[in-house]
Amino acid sequence: MTKQQGDLYKQGTLELLILRLLSSGNLNGWDIMQRIQLISGEVLSVTPGALYPALHRLEARGLISAVWRPSDNNRKAKFYELTTRGRKQLDTQRKQWEQFSAAVALILRDA
Amino acid sequence: MNLKDLLRRWRALTRKDEMDHELDEEMRFHLEREIDQNIRNGMSPEDARYAALRSFGGVDQSKEECRSARGVGLVDNIVRDVSYSGRVLFKSYAFTIVVVLTLALGIGANTAIFSFANGILLRPLPYPESDRLAVVEEIALKEDGNSIGVSYPNFLDWREQNKVFEGIACHFGTGRFAMTAGGSPSEIRGTRVTHGLFEVLRVSPILGRTFTVEEDRPEEDAVIILGYNLWQRSFGGNPNVIGQKITVSSRPRTIIGVMPRGFRFPEVSELWVPLAVTSKIYTRNDHGLEAIARLKDGVTIEQAQAEMTNVAARIQEQNPVTNEGLALKVTSLRENLSGSYHDALLILLGVVGCVLLVACVNVANLMLARATARQKEFALRAALGAGRWRIMRQLLIESLLLSIAGGVLGFVLSIWALRLLLTAIPGDLPFWMNFNLDWRVLGFTLAITLLTGLIFGAVPALQTSRVDLNDTLKEGGRGNSGVRSRARSLLVVSEIAMSLVLLVGAGLMIQSFLRLRSVNIGLDTKNVLTATTNLPRAKYTQDDQRTSFYKQLMERVRSLPGVEAASATGTLPLGGNNWGRGLTVEGYPVLSVGQVPTVQHTVVTPGYFRTMGITLLAGRDFNDADTKDSQNITIIDERLARQYWPNESPLGKRVRFGPPEDNEPWHTIVGVVSAVRHQRVQEETRPSVYLPHQKIPVGGMTLVARTSVNPHDFMGAVRREVAQLDSDLPVSEVATMEEVVAEAIWQPRLYAMLFAVFAGGALLLALIGIYGVMAFLVQTRTHEIGVRMALGATARDVFKLIVGRGMKLTVVGVIIGVGGAIALTRLMHSLLFNTSATDPFTFILISLLLSLAAFFACYIPARRAAKVDPLVALRYE
Repeated sequence: MTKQQGDLYKQGTLELLILRLLSSGNLNGWDIMQRIQLISGEVLSVTPGALYPALHRLEARGLISAVWRPSDNNRKAKFYELTTRGRKQLDTQRKQWEQFSAAVALILRDA
Repeated sequence: MNLKDLLRRWRALTRKDEMDHELDEEMRFHLEREIDQNIRNGMSPEDARYAALRSFGGVDQSKEECRSARGVGLVDNIVRDVSYSGRVLFKSYAFTIVVVLTLALGIGANTAIFSFANGILLRPLPYPESDRLAVVEEIALKEDGNSIGVSYPNFLDWREQNKVFEGIACHFGTGRFAMTAGGSPSEIRGTRVTHGLFEVLRVSPILGRTFTVEEDRPEEDAVIILGYNLWQRSFGGNPNVIGQKITVSSRPRTIIGVMPRGFRFPEVSELWVPLAVTSKIYTRNDHGLEAIARLKDGVTIEQAQAEMTNVAARIQEQNPVTNEGLALKVTSLRENLSGSYHDALLILLGVVGCVLLVACVNVANLMLARATARQKEFALRAALGAGRWRIMRQLLIESLLLSIAGGVLGFVLSIWALRLLLTAIPGDLPFWMNFNLDWRVLGFTLAITLLTGLIFGAVPALQTSRVDLNDTLKEGGRGNSGVRSRARSLLVVSEIAMSLVLLVGAGLMIQSFLRLRSVNIGLDTKNVLTATTNLPRAKYTQDDQRTSFYKQLMERVRSLPGVEAASATGTLPLGGNNWGRGLTVEGYPVLSVGQVPTVQHTVVTPGYFRTMGITLLAGRDFNDADTKDSQNITIIDERLARQYWPNESPLGKRVRFGPPEDNEPWHTIVGVVSAVRHQRVQEETRPSVYLPHQKIPVGGMTLVARTSVNPHDFMGAVRREVAQLDSDLPVSEVATMEEVVAEAIWQPRLYAMLFAVFAGGALLLALIGIYGVMAFLVQTRTHEIGVRMALGATARDVFKLIVGRGMKLTVVGVIIGVGGAIALTRLMHSLLFNTSATDPFTFILISLLLSLAAFFACYIPARRAAKVDPLVALRYE
């Protein structure tokens, strides 16, 4: 991952991505990392060193909660799920992001 | 934060191991998935594991971040930091002991001085809403605004005309009353007060009542109120004491009230009788009363002053003769009581604060040296994921632990130091001073303890956290010593500068005190015993009785073996009692009260001048041939003689005393004596006149006896002689004249002593500081010194290098210190006697002494450096 890409992972952006991924189902840390890479077409990637602290931060803020259950390879893993508060947070943050990116796009096109 | 949140945090704190275990599991799961994937991609298990670890990054760092992300990290980490710090400090116990002791001395000294100042300047006075109490004084404009006391008729007018006071009352100063309690006569300190005084103070008696308006009149005043302790001592706390008749100073009085425990007013009085005077007895010319008032709600001291100035102007218009040249001053009771301590205490607080700063600097220096030695430890921790803030916090916690230990120990020391300090105050402590522990002292100690920890902890914490991880681990700890030694040099310079300021201050104070002590007060204080008796008016009603009592007593004392001379005086020089009276000189115009000069008016028995070693310059002493029926005569001092008769003999000239228009009889001058300082050692503002006791047979006299041996040995004998003349008569204030003089200058002595102790402490700390830095320098530069020597530098060159470095710091410190001292010693101006605050001699001497001491502090490490063996030094690393 280049430096420029790394800058995309400002705390808020990474957290928004995590919330969005969890909104469609419970995932463990490894899954989340894989999906970010996969869905973004290998453009975005996240290191465990950034991902796990972000997960714990979200958990601490009560936006996500965690349960331990067997994963598909039958080992116990920590699965995260979105709380009600987390869902609300996702909605607001998503709107803000869309407004922001639309505004940036507008300027890039017309300015 | 909701309940679930709290529970989670609680769980995180209490079940830390479980949470850590879960974290481990989560990380392990991730790694195993990564490894599995790598193996599926065709790596060998070994390679797969290695690659997974590498792509993960620092596992421990991530865990640490997760822990702090959970938000429980803070409390948890602090608990861990504290216990870690505790272990670290315990291991390096020598360092810990030195630091804790240094801080304990600094904090202890500060707490002691603060407690002292608190008891005098801050604590509420022992009356309800004492901040509303004010003292009203009449001041004479001609006597530099000195208070001359209040006259009764003026007081009555104030009470009637003012609109700013809720109440105002008057009283005399503390007097002595003879009371026979439990068989032996004793003198009880008591005060004559107007009615309404207790109401102004808002203190009610626990038994009985206070004085009525009627009881404040002559002939109706045979009542008395007792203080709590006196009631306990003399009446066993009997609640039926109200209504009992007792004899006080030979006059029967009925007990009407008992005041609550701890109540004293003014000073140490513990019995009160009505003032019971009238404007006829106590005229507008007779000053000497004290007035105390309670401000109405919302009225400030300034408003009261303005209003009372108007009232006084009105009174003056109606009574131009008596009230001219007088003004009125309203001050808060607190200011009135603590005025003489105020400046000195603030300066002392500054001084002792400076000492603590020097102590802080020293400790910071030690911490820096230690931080250098611990660089690797911090680098390692940083590598394991400890952030910059975390390491700083660790260091700050260590500092705080040290300062708290120092604070606790210092607090204990301060209790002892304060007790020592209070022994310097002569006589009974004034009633309003209270030095018991209170929340202010505790708060102050806590505040300076924490502040101290932050001050000396901040420097090493900032320095250390700036360390470049890679450099440190690679170079084995030599990378940053340059930066650090600069910081340490700076600290040493500041230490030297502060010590210099304190030393100069101490030098000035000591010089001032020595000058004060060597002031010639005009008499020979050696081997003189003094003892005071007060003949009760009710028993010694006739003038002759009093004259003959003292005449007999003198004869008896003179006949004691070892007594060379004995006499008595109404007002002992520097004894705290003074009698000022107006002076009119024959042939000079009669002046108004406000303009008439005041002279010190002393009543003595024959032989006084010889006994006290006062020189008779012209004329004669009083003798037994001067009786109450013979001509009115007086002896004046040389100051008065020079003032009025500079070119002729004053003998035979006539003067009279008291208010000018009263037409008191003229007194013929029969002698001139050398000047004596009656009021203050520092200066004498009034010239003196002496009158024979036979003419003015006052009841209260102080016996003075010159002895050939230690005057203390005669105390018992003098008491016996008094008892043989009158077994009911108490003897009080037995002291040698040297003790009386020493007592008069106890404040300058105490301040000089404290200054010297504190400055000495600061000097010691500064020397330890400079020694430490030089020793450290030699240690860290052993290699360099070895190279220099190998290249031909002699031991002398190396010695000069090290000493030169130390002296450079010293000189910079001294220069800054001299600048600071010039700026700061000005503040001490009011404490100095005959000594300039910028006395060049003191400045130069102290600078030289300090430099010399610093030289010796550098000498030892420099010698060690000069002895470095280049072979050993180069093999060193």
